[in-house]
Amino acid sequence: MNPELSQDLSLLHLILNASLPVQLVMLLLLGASLMSWWFIFIKMFALKRALRETDRFEREFWGGGDINAMYKRVAAGRGEAGEMARIFEAGFREFMKLRQQTGLSLNVIVDGTRRAMRATYQRELDSLESHLSFLATVGSVSPYVGLFGTVWGIMIAFMGLSSVAQATLAQVAPGIAEALIATAMGLFAAIPAVVGYNRYTHDIDRLANRMESFMEEFSNILQRQATKAS
Amino acid sequence: MNMSADAPFVSRPRSNLIAGALALGVHVVFVLLLVFGVSWQTRHPAPVMVDLWEALPPPPPVAKPATPPMVKPARPPAPEPVKTPEPVKVKPAPRPEVDEPPPPKTPDIALEKKKAESERQKKMQAMQAAEEKARAEAARKVQETQLAERKKRELLRQMEEEDLTRRMADEAAASEARQAKLAEAQTKLAEAAAASKRQAEVASVVGQYRDLISAKVRGNTRLPDNLAGNPQVRCLVKLLPTGEVQSVRVTQSSGNAAYDEAVVRGIWKSSPLPLPGERDARAAFVPELSFVHRPKE
Repeated sequence: MNPELSQDLSLLHLILNASLPVQLVMLLLLGASLMSWWFIFIKMFALKRALRETDRFEREFWGGGDINAMYKRVAAGRGEAGEMARIFEAGFREFMKLRQQTGLSLNVIVDGTRRAMRATYQRELDSLESHLSFLATVGSVSPYVGLFGTVWGIMIAFMGLSSVAQATLAQVAPGIAEALIATAMGLFAAIPAVVGYNRYTHDIDRLANRMESFMEEFSNILQRQATKAS
Repeated sequence: MNMSADAPFVSRPRSNLIAGALALGVHVVFVLLLVFGVSWQTRHPAPVMVDLWEALPPPPPVAKPATPPMVKPARPPAPEPVKTPEPVKVKPAPRPEVDEPPPPKTPDIALEKKKAESERQKKMQAMQAAEEKARAEAARKVQETQLAERKKRELLRQMEEEDLTRRMADEAAASEARQAKLAEAQTKLAEAAAASKRQAEVASVVGQYRDLISAKVRGNTRLPDNLAGNPQVRCLVKLLPTGEVQSVRVTQSSGNAAYDEAVVRGIWKSSPLPLPGERDARAAFVPELSFVHRPKE
């Protein structure tokens, strides 16, 4: 039997027999894929938790509880509380501190509170959005990296073809197959990364909107309280 | 001023390990799917040998299927298949012919005997004078008839035996002839197959080179402007073994002299023509090549 026709085309065999640049590309893509999946899962857990905590906090806050008690509880366990709770805690603490100082106008107190809340909001948003840029990069670049590996592999396959007298498909087929694995890996890394990126930016946007609305509403409440007191 | 009280809280993402394990799991599942789900192995079915039989396949191969099919073609066309049916065929045939004739004959004889006896008794009662004579005569007659009967039977049996032996010999000869014929036919078939295969190979090479030559000549032929349709020119080209053109002669004109001329020039220009390296295939081209040219394929 023709040994060329019955060649072993198993996946592992192809990858191990690929040329060095193609192997490097595959390794890079495997790393990118692993990292992006890792971040996808991290973000998935973090966002789920943020959403749950935000829902819980909003329910509690608008449920008519004592704001002072709520502040004490959140301040005691800042790590356990959600993003919105921390924004509330930062704002309320600033508000209390400013109120203790005498001779401050209402505008100054409310502005200071709002600044404190905004700073915390930025920090929280930043932590929520961390790693998302990596997903975006993997999603847009890894197809090209895979394509590069494929082009390189096919180039080498055809170079090998030029040195033989009779060109048959069996001589290029393994080279092209191994090269195409690089493209497959690039797509495998890119598709989940793009889907994850789009999904998570959308989720974070919605969460940010909720937090911003809460900040506005909470400053209104504090302002009302301050005017009542003075 | 002490800043520690105002230090902002920085949340640290947790569950990194779980996420990492899940990411690894996704990849492992994917790789397993690829390796076991997609069979990239190009496996070809094992070659199958087929025997062509002119006659019906003999029964013995059915009786012992354990013999591997690969061994059979190597053996000459089985001697057992033809021999075994022989005893089966010949033996049952004579048996009814040998056994059957005697039974109907014995009752005949007995009947006759009885008849003769009764006649004799009647005669004895009727005529006493002729008694002795008649008895002797009757006895002799009976004896004669018996003798004749026996002789006849013996003769019959002899004839039958001869017939049988002759038939057996005939049968053996016929089967031998048949076997020889079969063997001959098979060897002839194999030879013919080999020859035709060889011929096909040569023909394919010849066709290939014919196409090559056509292509080369076509590339070197400048068609005249007034050429219409796809006229055909037949040329006789004399070639050296190297493919060098020695002479070109138009044996069948296309009717367009300018075109004929152009083809002849094209053939000269194409010298040396590509020739196969194989001798058998080369024979179709080398000393003379009858070459048909059409402007279009």
